[in-house]
Order: sequence, then structure tokens, then C-alpha cells
Amino acid sequence: MIKLTLSVLLVLISLDCLTQIDYSKLIIGRNTGTKTLHDGNVTKIFGFTETLNEVTDTPGPTIRVTEGDTIQIEFWNVSQGAPHTIHLHGLDVNQENDGVPHLSFVVNHMDHGYYKFKAPHPGTYIYHCHVVSTIHVQAGMYGVIIVEPSNGQNNTTWVGGESFDRDILLTASEIDTNWHTDAVLDHEHDPVNPIPVFVPENYTPQYFLVNGLSETQLADPLNHSTVGVNEDVFMRLVNIGYYGVRYIFPNSVNARTISSDGRPLPQAYINDTIEVLPGERYGTLIQTGTADFYDVEIEYFNMNTQLIESSQAVTLRTSLASINNLELNLTVYPNPSEDGVFYTEKAFTENYTIYAIDGGLVLKSSEQRIDLSKHKPGIYTMHYQGSVIKLCAQ
Amino acid sequence: MPKLYLTFLIVTACSFLHATTIDVRLVIKPGLLTLSNGGTVEVITYNNTDSFSENSALLVWELGDVVNLKIVNNDTQNHGFNADGLTSFGIIPAGDSVIQTINLSNAGVFRYNDNVNPPFNSYLGLSGIIHIKDPSDTTPYFYWDIREIQSNWNPILYGSGIVNLTDYDPDFFTINGNHNPNINLDPIAKVIGNVGVEFKIVLVNNGLSIHSMHFHGYHLLSAADSKHPAFVGREKDTFPLYPHEHLILSCTPDKPGEYPVHDHNLVAVTGGQEYATGMFLTLLIAP
Repeated sequence: MIKLTLSVLLVLISLDCLTQIDYSKLIIGRNTGTKTLHDGNVTKIFGFTETLNEVTDTPGPTIRVTEGDTIQIEFWNVSQGAPHTIHLHGLDVNQENDGVPHLSFVVNHMDHGYYKFKAPHPGTYIYHCHVVSTIHVQAGMYGVIIVEPSNGQNNTTWVGGESFDRDILLTASEIDTNWHTDAVLDHEHDPVNPIPVFVPENYTPQYFLVNGLSETQLADPLNHSTVGVNEDVFMRLVNIGYYGVRYIFPNSVNARTISSDGRPLPQAYINDTIEVLPGERYGTLIQTGTADFYDVEIEYFNMNTQLIESSQAVTLRTSLASINNLELNLTVYPNPSEDGVFYTEKAFTENYTIYAIDGGLVLKSSEQRIDLSKHKPGIYTMHYQGSVIKLCAQ
Repeated sequence: MPKLYLTFLIVTACSFLHATTIDVRLVIKPGLLTLSNGGTVEVITYNNTDSFSENSALLVWELGDVVNLKIVNNDTQNHGFNADGLTSFGIIPAGDSVIQTINLSNAGVFRYNDNVNPPFNSYLGLSGIIHIKDPSDTTPYFYWDIREIQSNWNPILYGSGIVNLTDYDPDFFTINGNHNPNINLDPIAKVIGNVGVEFKIVLVNNGLSIHSMHFHGYHLLSAADSKHPAFVGREKDTFPLYPHEHLILSCTPDKPGEYPVHDHNLVAVTGGQEYATGMFLTLLIAP
């Protein structure tokens, strides 16, 4: 009798554990966002927000949860068009919570849907809408989920893994504005039966993004990532676009890749270049020194032709490199330069420095004529009093 | 009516020490492949009968066997037959045939292809999968011959015209020649398994594009990687698959359900500008 009571009690406790929610998060789906691109153009986007008042942008909010916890994402669809879902990419959830419309469930306008899952492996994951995913992901309905280890030490890669001083998330994607028209985004939908949806003839993105930004937006010091001097930094490298990307680190930071898709690699590998294909994630440890800046180049290559179609640069700014003056009005022309020679109207009161994309110092000068003609064509960064400008020598 | 991926599956009960000699005949023939939108394009395939099949034959042999392989070229152009690390036939003139004997001394996956006019004859359909199985390996295998099609290229290439690889922009994406939802009706491709029972998938990229294959529901273990042998042992949910390379992935499901697999270059989930008639199928796992 005592044994039976104990067994029933254990079963009840067990059931209670399964239904207990350790962490709950509200995510709202929107289809009325607009995004200002680096050249001032504005395009319509879909996206995820945490509140109704929040501006819809892409990527959506980064969700941080703890290994082993039972997570509930409450998804509220506040959009007038097609239903949406949340697919928990890489989290190996069961079919019910997988977010694939015909195998799970969809969330219609003004409805709420609940996704429950355990987060058993620390790492970097993606969430995105899986309704007409080719259109909805391109439209901007994606974000990142980070599962932190259960030992209470958020600055370790996993329990018993490597420690770091900070982590930085870089999420690559693209925008083809021809896919952001009303004709494409307001596609036909049937709340019950999947129907064929037409997509544009070609995918030819004009904007290549890191964390939703590109070109001059990335060069803006306000958008630089801060790192410390002599720090171990865990780079979370994500690709949710439809192009392949290569994250290229300066030699000096000793990039060492230790994990992918939420699992430790059997063998870490040391390489400055980490290729990340659509849907993949990699974890790479770097070591900063005493330099003011470290530039990470991101190449975007076409999955069909394998040709590189864009290159972006992300600046990691050490905390010593303060932003002295954001209104320097530092303009360089022509940029790109066909002969590698640039000019600026600004009279410099001290030397500026120009670095190649691999981190090597190329030029230190105060001349208004910037001559890179003897260096190989490519992307360079010019640093002056806390401002950074990307120079493109063709 | 879904296309059934024709197989040339030879299973013997013989051990390595009791080699079996097998006679295999493949016929090179041109024909038409039906696309997801109902249109057709010209292809050329290696067929295991005198009848045209839309896909080149899947060849599954056993380690230790001896294969007398005869290639019959019933096309009007010269062709070849090559499998790196296994065999090469050289030129097989139009209307001619060549026989070679192959000793199957190494287990593994080999991509075979026509090495004439590379990579275009292979792109047109003259490429496929050879799997030499170790008889002691009783794991269920599934086979995904992955390729994409730029529909306006096929008539040009079939007519010996010239295309520029830097313009490649495919509009159809297939597994074993099928598109979603018909891929799921192909027993060679459709994974049907059980919780706790290991299965393996052989993925061969016979196209020209890079594919990034994403699995819902499970992380899989890389058991073979022709592009990056050092990557074997990685446990991932998304696997790069480069042109003319192959992977063998292992999975022991921990839960039941039906879980999609698709290229996460999501353009490849479409076909002829239509979502979702591209490279998309599911794993169906029973308790």
C-alpha cells in the first residue's frame, strides 16, 4: 500500500515536471514593418517583436534560455495576412511544436499559439516562420535563440566547456527588394489547406546584411560591437539567408571554431575563415589584443555559381577606443575607387590608419590623398579618431 | 503519378570470402524528364533496362563481389563512364558498348558520371550513385540523388550548345528526380523508421549548386564526407553538400513523428516559381 502510494506520487511529480514552465516568452508576429536600408531606400518587411509598440525590425529579438529548462513561447499573430508559425530550427522539438504548417499548427491573425520544448544542448539556434518559408524568411521573420549552459555560468560554451569574456552574435542574411512587394508578400493563403504560392522568378539580393545592417550602417561606430582588451570572445556565427557566407577574421585573433549547430565539434579547428551555409551556425573563439579595432569581413557567395557577390565588414571596437567625435564628417571619394586612390576634404590633425581586411596595417598618414594603388584590390578600413570608413579599391 | 526511382539493387547473401560475380548492363539513352509544373526537359540517363528512365540507375553492390559492367551507348553522342576511385571506361562511342570487370575491394559511396563534356553531360542526367555495402552492415539505407535544373539550359546542352556557368540560376530542385510532394512517394528516398533504430542516408550532389540540407526533429551524425573527411563525427542539423560530393548521415531517432528535410537555401524549396514544389521531403518515424 505504501509502495503504491509512493509510485502514484512519483508519477504525479513526474507529470508536474513535464508541464512546469521554467521560462515563458511572448513573441508577436507582424507584417507591417518597414526597414531603412543603407542607401536610404525603405522596404516593407515582416518580423517578430516582443511588444506591440516596438518597431518591427529584422532579425527579431534574440531569445536567451537556459539548458534543461522547459520553455514556452507564446506566439501572438498580429498581422492581417497569411497565418504564421515559429519553427525552432535546430532545437529538435517534437512534431507538434515544430512549426511546419501541415505537420504542426498555424497561428491565424489575432490568434495565440504555444510552443513548448526543452532546451537540452547549449548553443546557437534560429527561430523563423515556416509558412511559405521562402517568402516569410526573406521578408524578415527570423531571430536567434541562445541556449546557455545550466551551470549558472553564462560565459562558458557548455558545462565543462571553454570560458569566454563575452559573446557576440553575427547573423547574416540578404534582402532582394523584388521579394518585398505587396504582390509577393500579400500572397494567397488558405487557413486549412496548403495551396501553391508563386515566388519571383529570380533571387538577386541588392542588400547583404549582418544583424540587419549593411555597408555604411555597419561602418557607423554606433553599430560597432564592443570587445575588451585581451579578451576571449565567443563569436556566434549564423546564416539565415539564401547565400553562403564566409566570416573572415584577422590573423591576429587566432580564430578557433569549437561548435556547430548546438553541438561541440569532435575536433576544434583553427582557421581565419569559417564558411557558414544557409541554416548553419558555428561557434568560434577569438582572442583580442590591444588593438583599437578588429574588422571581420563577411563574404556572400551565390550557392549556384559560387561567385562572391558582396563583402561586408563588421568592426569589433575595443573598449579603449572611445568614440571622440561622431560628427567628424569624414567623407572619402571616389568610393569605390577604380585606381585605388581616394581623396578627402578633411584636414587631418593627426594620423589616420588604414587596415586590410586581414587586420594588417597598410597605411598610416595624415595626407588628404590616400593612395592604395600599390596594394591589391579589396576592402580596407580607414580609422580616424574613432570613426571608421570602409574603402573599396577595385 | 509519381515517378518511381528505378533501382538496380543486387543483394547477395555471400560473404567477402565467397565473392559473387554479377553481370550489370547500363544503357545510355536520351529522353524527357517531367518537371513539377508539368513541363518537360531533355535529359540523358544510364538505364538498367533498354527502356528510358528519367533518372540514372542506383547501383548497390556488396563488398568483395566482382561486377562485369557493360555500358551500352544508345545515344548519338560519345559518352563515358567514370567513378573516381573505382573505375573509368574512357570514351564510349555512340552506338558502341564497353565492358569492364570491377573488383569491389572497398566499401563506400562512389559517384558515377559521364566524364565527357564536364560538367554538362553529368548535369544532363548522366550521373548517379554507387554504394558498395559491407555485408556486415545491416543498417537500413536511403538514397538521395540531389540535383537542380535550369530548364532553359537542357535543350541548349542537349543540342551541344554552350552555356556559361556564371549564369547558372536553376528553377527546379529535385531528389531522385522527384519534387515535393512526390519525393515522399519514392521508397528509396522516403525515410520510414522507428524510434531507437538506426538508419543511414546517402546524399550525393549530382547538380552544380551547393545545397545546405536541414533536418527537423533530429541532429544526425556525419559518417562519411567526401569533401571534408575531417568533418566525419560531427553532429549537426544542417549539412553542406557541395557539387559532385557525397555524405553518409546516420540517425537513431529518439522520438516519433514526421519531420521535414529541405535545403535551407529556401529558393530550392520552390519549383518553377512555385512554393513548395522543390527539394522537400519528410522522415516518418514510428514509436
